[in-house]
Amino acid sequence: MTSALIAENLTKRYGRRTALSGCTLDIPAGHVVGLVGPNGAGKSTLLQLACGLLEPTAGRLEVLGERPSSGSPRVGFVAQDTPVYGGLTVAEHLRMGAHLNPSWDRPLAERRIAQVGLDPTQKAGKLSGGQRAQLALTVAAAKRPDLLLLDEPVAALDPLARRTFLQSLMELAVEQGMSIVMSSHLVADLERVCDHLIVLVASRVRVAGDVEELLAGHHRLVGPRRDPGELNAGWTVVDESRTDVQSTLVVRSTAPIDDPSWQADRLDLEDIVLAYMSGAAGPARVLEGQR
Amino acid sequence: MTWLAWRQFRTQAIAGAACLVLLLGAVLLTWQQVSDLATSTGYTGCSGDACLAAAENFADRFQLGLSHHVYLATIGALYLMPALIGVFWGAPVVARELETGTYRMVFSQSVGRGRWLLIKLAIGGLTAALGAGLFSLLLTRWAQRIDSASGDRITPLIFAGRGIVPIGYAALAFVVGVTVGMVLRRTVVAMAVTLLVVAGLQVAAPMVVRPWLAQPITVVKPLDVSKLEGIGMDVDSLQMHLRAEADQPGAWIVANEVVTSTGALFVGPADAETCLPRPGGTGPERCQEWLSTQNLSQKLMYVPGSKFWTLQWREFGLLVVLTLVLTLFSLWWIRRRLV
Repeated sequence: MTSALIAENLTKRYGRRTALSGCTLDIPAGHVVGLVGPNGAGKSTLLQLACGLLEPTAGRLEVLGERPSSGSPRVGFVAQDTPVYGGLTVAEHLRMGAHLNPSWDRPLAERRIAQVGLDPTQKAGKLSGGQRAQLALTVAAAKRPDLLLLDEPVAALDPLARRTFLQSLMELAVEQGMSIVMSSHLVADLERVCDHLIVLVASRVRVAGDVEELLAGHHRLVGPRRDPGELNAGWTVVDESRTDVQSTLVVRSTAPIDDPSWQADRLDLEDIVLAYMSGAAGPARVLEGQR
Repeated sequence: MTWLAWRQFRTQAIAGAACLVLLLGAVLLTWQQVSDLATSTGYTGCSGDACLAAAENFADRFQLGLSHHVYLATIGALYLMPALIGVFWGAPVVARELETGTYRMVFSQSVGRGRWLLIKLAIGGLTAALGAGLFSLLLTRWAQRIDSASGDRITPLIFAGRGIVPIGYAALAFVVGVTVGMVLRRTVVAMAVTLLVVAGLQVAAPMVVRPWLAQPITVVKPLDVSKLEGIGMDVDSLQMHLRAEADQPGAWIVANEVVTSTGALFVGPADAETCLPRPGGTGPERCQEWLSTQNLSQKLMYVPGSKFWTLQWREFGLLVVLTLVLTLFSLWWIRRRLV
């Protein structure tokens, strides 16, 4: 499995403030990867470092086997809040893309604009949030990058626009076969499109893996109270809560749970992510309320 | 990239061109009037001593016409132009991208930041230089007879609005605007600071830089009391202030002082007997007589009018060097320090 992005001890400081400290991770190529974590985890900083917009303070970062630099034709980026030029029309944005990118795929850009129903003569400043995000995605995708990075692209969108946008993203992933890394603090968004998930909390990877494996390998167990030492050695406890008589655990286990004294339930992706964010290795972190 | 840079610059360029057309129109419309006046006063084609009188007549009558308003307006315009270019063309170039976040989109296209900025600087800077050059060329030709009749084209007020110097100011002001905007990251703040910096440059140039570039000639000669233009005197303290005629037509007089035999500025005290006005007195003649016995000299620092083009090239060269240095600085900053 090749890597789209490798970070080793990656650190970014702005003066005294540390935005990312000692982050080590490996993102596989050929996937739609979700990068999830609370605000302040360093997701946005990591993505901006990966597209060369920021320079790391320390550590090593390799994107598609190279040191990232802005202006690379191989990496596309859709920034947070999907900025576009308010004074330029939709068609002029495509023209800009064609002028600035040797690998510009004009038919793809025009097809996508027509598909999402954007009027080419409309000024981008007059577009709705969802339309603007679609325009930014089109410009980034028609560049035909090998790796497309998206920083909270749907955070500001209403549910319908969000669904349409994610649909577009999935189509692109399938049709164009590009690797995609998308950050979000909402698991529900990622669940719909991602096949690989990374949970990042305070610059550290809590869990990373293919979504199917994560779903199959995590269990919620409810049973009589037991101390940690009495548990099956093959289990990794992600989160636990105990009352006087009863234990509730979230465990990771590749083997099926065959101990009949536990009542085992499947977890959905959001439960798993929340368990990692609040559990075991640190103080509870609150996710932002869903919009 | 050229297309995008031009597209984003279009509105400002059109506004600037409209102002330029207005000024050029005024100059062209009054061209005939100035020519006619020069002919009717006998200044065109004059020769020898007749020229002096004709020039004076021409310059005096020019003050009364409509074209004199145009003349004053163009002086104002040439001083305002660099500031306007810096504030409205230069300052927003990078600052607005940073403010609206669009830099994140444009820097993730397949164009390096350095190249992006270089093209933006080239398009804006060259347009500014071209506009200023066109205006200055036409104006210098239009005002040629006026300038030579009044012999003042090398004086600070006129100098910066003639020849090639305006090109340098326009290009420098643009790059100053861009750089300030990039460093301060706020459009409005950058506009205000750019205005201050450009105005500061325009003030510092004639006061500090130009005398140094021009290397004025210094002459000390015995004071001819009959050539005194003015005698100022404080009746109580008897302090005096003398002003002698410079007698250097067409030159820029940098300094003109009356000094004592030790070289210090002469400030009196006046001889109360001869210089204080009294009822039924003899007038200023006796004071002049007394002054002529004081061993005074006139110290004159001036730049002759013939050095006009030498000085133009020197100042232009300095402005170009400053523009290039600032360009290199901004290219370094956008790669290393911007975000």
